[in-house]
Amino acid sequence: MSAGSRIAERVQSDAVRVVRSPARAYRGVLFAIDDVREGRTTPKELLAYLLATVAATCVVFLYLFPVYWVLTASLSGDAALLSTDGIGVDPNEFSLDAYSWVLFESRFVGYLGNSVRVVIPTMLIAFSVIVPASYALSRRAFLGRTKILYMYVLFTQVGAGLGIAGLIAIYAMFAHAGLTNNHLVLAFLYAAMAVPFNTWLLKTYMDSIPVSYEEAALIDGAPRWRIIWEIIIPLSKPGLAVILIFTFLAGWNEFIIAQTVLRPENYTLPVGLYMLVGEFSTPWARFSAFALLFASPVVILYFLAQRYVESGLSFGGMEG
Amino acid sequence: MTLLATAVERVRGFGSVPLVERGDAPLALVLPGLFLFSAFLLFPLLYLFYLSFTDAAPQTLFAGEQQFIGFENYVNLLTTWRFWNSLGVTWLFLVTSVLLKIAVGIGMALVLDHHLVRGKRLLRAMVIVPLALPPIFVIAVWRGMFSTARYGVINQAMIAVGLEPVAWLQRRWMAFLAYNVTEVWLATPFMFIIIVSALQSVPEELHDAAKVDGAGYLSRFVHVTLPSIKRPVWFASILTAAASFQQFLIPFVFNQGGPARRNELILVHGYREAFAFNEYGQGAAIMIMALLFIGAFMWLNVKKGRLAEGIHNQ
Repeated sequence: MSAGSRIAERVQSDAVRVVRSPARAYRGVLFAIDDVREGRTTPKELLAYLLATVAATCVVFLYLFPVYWVLTASLSGDAALLSTDGIGVDPNEFSLDAYSWVLFESRFVGYLGNSVRVVIPTMLIAFSVIVPASYALSRRAFLGRTKILYMYVLFTQVGAGLGIAGLIAIYAMFAHAGLTNNHLVLAFLYAAMAVPFNTWLLKTYMDSIPVSYEEAALIDGAPRWRIIWEIIIPLSKPGLAVILIFTFLAGWNEFIIAQTVLRPENYTLPVGLYMLVGEFSTPWARFSAFALLFASPVVILYFLAQRYVESGLSFGGMEG
Repeated sequence: MTLLATAVERVRGFGSVPLVERGDAPLALVLPGLFLFSAFLLFPLLYLFYLSFTDAAPQTLFAGEQQFIGFENYVNLLTTWRFWNSLGVTWLFLVTSVLLKIAVGIGMALVLDHHLVRGKRLLRAMVIVPLALPPIFVIAVWRGMFSTARYGVINQAMIAVGLEPVAWLQRRWMAFLAYNVTEVWLATPFMFIIIVSALQSVPEELHDAAKVDGAGYLSRFVHVTLPSIKRPVWFASILTAAASFQQFLIPFVFNQGGPARRNELILVHGYREAFAFNEYGQGAAIMIMALLFIGAFMWLNVKKGRLAEGIHNQ
């Protein structure tokens, strides 16, 4: 509840800043003109500012061209972009046809259902093993603690590569046990791959919560479980939000294991996207709309949580 | 995102670990995660190691009839041209993509950190937008842009400026170039964040002093800026080099490591050997060789990146 309202507050302040930015820019221009009139800056300096800013803006726009392309392509309707003339699209020809194709005619909704069937168990399984482990690693000393942490840190760096390298063995194991083409088994695998990094992240976050709260509660005679439930968990909310996002991404974005282990009727969205880009008969508008609808939950989540996540990360690393 | 988080942690450093009490009961809280991790990550790696010494293929493996054949797979590997080609392309890709990432990262950071540029905050926020995009989305979009069959946008642009369209994904070095462009695009926000924060920590006095001595922009860049940002750039390069070495999705999505298997980066090579050509044992051996290098990166990251600090604090 408080986390939700805090995010809402920040999103609101960001929105206000964005809305006001043209006015701010306009005021900046007025000040600059004023400066030139009063002789505080020379026209030459003003020109230098202008040129540098325009050049920097061009660099950024050139860099972001793929994003611009996929956005305009998705709105271009079926016919456009199949012609060779020009890269841009006439805004008058914008249409939402491609989106309606994706939602009502393509296999998007079926893939989406499969993705949800993988992502939700992934998050549940990952949470149920990561949270207790992070607490124990942060607050208790026990046999093998350092070894476990060391192993987790090593794996955080190369998790993706190891996942692919081990895929042959994983596929063989699954095939032996008759567990291929099973969303729940895939969820266990994704959760396992999320364990090292997220456990380490939440552990470092919990390290930053002062022990004195717990000591005070202990002296007051609070039982261990109440301390965890009423002190550690509420204070860890930003850290929990971070690992919530990362475990969601672990299931939502993964492509190659899903493609190898699942059969076509059970493919998740990333596999669906891959199939579409390989199909030469699909117009760019449809491909782009599909891709954007796949990416949009991630983008929305990222921007909603960005400041929250950043505070979670910096907190987790502990300043000072 | 993982890279970014690591970078943030690395920059902030680690504090001490407060421990309330000692005892072995908490091990029970760690065990479920540890079990999951071992069953789905550690055990498969051991099994992979075993498979690399067998003649496993779908028909034998699924009936449990694979034979132990000793080092035959490895001997095969080390004597085939294709494996050395794959390893060579992987290292070449690592070198070219990391150099390009550094160059593009420094270039963008210098442009967007220039004192004459207004609205830096907005521009910087825009540069890190790709961090929010799923990698498979970015790679599929670039695959579409490089497409030759359906008027890919890059070929359209080339026609527009009067050049001949290029069969990007059908020609070896053109495909290699396309991999590099995509890899650099993906890594730019990470490099940019690291380099901008490094640039901002360069003391203004150093630049002023150099200006007084009559140093131009270029010589200030070489003698003042570069030495000051060397360490963070070096650190970022190690992390991003590991990512380049393990790059799988770009070649796989673009053209399956083609044309004619010539651009198979090492992980794609192992994957295709197993799943496209049904040589599981041979594929496992390739993966084990890849793991040796990945392990070396792992060690280097922990060593140079000091990532493991904070473990021993109690």
